[in-house]
Amino acid sequence: MRKRLRYSLGNRDLPFQAVLVCFGFVTFFPLVLVVITSLKSNTQFYHNFWLPELPFQLGNYSSAFRIIWRYIVNSVLYSGTTICLIAAIASVAGYVFARFRFPFKTVIFLAFITLIMVPGVLTLAPRFVLVRDLGMVNTPMALISVWVSGGLVLSTWLMRSYFESLPQELFDAAYVDGAAEWQVFTYVSVPLARPMIATVAMTTLIGTWNDLIWPLVTITDKSKMPLAQGLMQFSSAYETDWGTLFAGYVISSIPLLCVFAVAMRQFISGLTSGAVKA
Amino acid sequence: MFRSATRSSSYSLLHSRAPLPRRLWRAKWLYLALLVPVTLLLLFEWLPAFSALYNSLYIWNGGKVHIYVGLEHYERLLSDRTFRVALSNLVGFVIFRVVMQTVLPFFAAEMIINLRSARWSYWWKIIFVFPMVVPTILNYLIWRFIYNPQVGLLNEGLELLGLDAYTHAWLGDPLTAMWALSFVRFPWLPTLQFLIILGGLQTIPHEVHESASIDGAGFWRRLFYIDIPMTRRQITLAMILTMLFMTQRFDLFLVMTDGGPGYSTMVPALQLFQSAFSFLEFGYASAIGVVLFVGMLALTVINLRVSSGAAAG
Repeated sequence: MRKRLRYSLGNRDLPFQAVLVCFGFVTFFPLVLVVITSLKSNTQFYHNFWLPELPFQLGNYSSAFRIIWRYIVNSVLYSGTTICLIAAIASVAGYVFARFRFPFKTVIFLAFITLIMVPGVLTLAPRFVLVRDLGMVNTPMALISVWVSGGLVLSTWLMRSYFESLPQELFDAAYVDGAAEWQVFTYVSVPLARPMIATVAMTTLIGTWNDLIWPLVTITDKSKMPLAQGLMQFSSAYETDWGTLFAGYVISSIPLLCVFAVAMRQFISGLTSGAVKA
Repeated sequence: MFRSATRSSSYSLLHSRAPLPRRLWRAKWLYLALLVPVTLLLLFEWLPAFSALYNSLYIWNGGKVHIYVGLEHYERLLSDRTFRVALSNLVGFVIFRVVMQTVLPFFAAEMIINLRSARWSYWWKIIFVFPMVVPTILNYLIWRFIYNPQVGLLNEGLELLGLDAYTHAWLGDPLTAMWALSFVRFPWLPTLQFLIILGGLQTIPHEVHESASIDGAGFWRRLFYIDIPMTRRQITLAMILTMLFMTQRFDLFLVMTDGGPGYSTMVPALQLFQSAFSFLEFGYASAIGVVLFVGMLALTVINLRVSSGAAAG
């Protein structure tokens, strides 16, 4: 009886909604405070910690932007290049592993897949020496080469399993129509694999965008730093200028916010579709 | 020419009967296609990995100084007090984080799948994944602000509630520093773990929940007898991922405290970083790396064994 009543009122969701609202509030509260503080001068901030106060100091944003923009541009270039390279190399490699049988295939594939178990912290120091000896320190190459090779491990695996899941009939149809192997790859396989390529791109983006340690050891030139490293510089330079500091924080979240707005639907449905299994 | 897709067996049988050199030659384009990724992996992944194993037996400054010392670095690790403190810090930290980063996402996901309104559950997913757009480093910087002793959010909040007595230099006190670091990013859900667990909960067939509610199972019973057992695989995966991430990521410690005050927030990965890049002891750093690698491998295997054993029994 009670159950029926609750259904008819349509508020069975209420307790869950209430919990979620509390949870959401705690999640967003620090972010809101950062935005509020970014609009204040230091005097306003010390005077009134919690609430927004007029006049809004939009000047904070322009002075923060003058410093942050370079880091953002660098990060976009580095991460963008990495994503394109990984997407291209991993689709080809994944396709080869998924569709062909050739001598030593298992051995070569193991050379990829075992690396999942090798932690980045083990290889950090020797890799730095290697990159230094190759003369790549303080160049974008130091970041891109290592990010690409590191990202290839998981990406190739993902692409391989995706290509393997495509039905054979699809390929047979293309072959019957007289398509060459490269045509089957470019005109049939890659367009079909777009959701998986998007997932690969997204994980690569987040991984490289947030990497702090590797740039920290390889990049010393301020004008070449990616965003994560640059923000660390920025935060120590503006340690006590809270408004500018937080304006910089807000600005540096905008790029991923844009990507999020465009690609989030695919990202969530891709990962929650039950495709990830232990 | 080499349309010997794995599933068209007639082709591949023919191929496997051909002599090896001929099969190699036939696959030349395939090898060419794999040349770039294999070279990259050999150079930037395999070479450093083996270099770490090899150089853990040497005193090495990353340059010309290169003296064989055998297992001396490993012996030194056994008696290194910093390493012991770092290890015990790490164990506590990882246990705390694994629990927190499994319970919180599970809790949120459970709430979300309980909603009847599909539109709301979609929006809540977006809302909880949203913090992903904030760069990781910003998380740390924002939390540095939260813990700031003079104008920090936490202390200001305590003062607002009239709890002035509890304000604290959270990161400056060796007693609270590690706890403070364990709570960094606190209510924010780890995106990957959240989506994995949510995906698991969503694949539980609707009929199971329906029949449970017909049998009179309430929220808690359903939670413990259906939802948790049926997502055990996803939960295990989320736990392993958290464990692996937390063991090897030290940017949090580097940015927030750099191991201090004293060694109260030192962890092995940070010690590795400092040995290599502050003290130029690349050999010793490599030894720490090897120990961490072996430990993580062992833990992963045990974890998988335990969970698959539990699933079988």
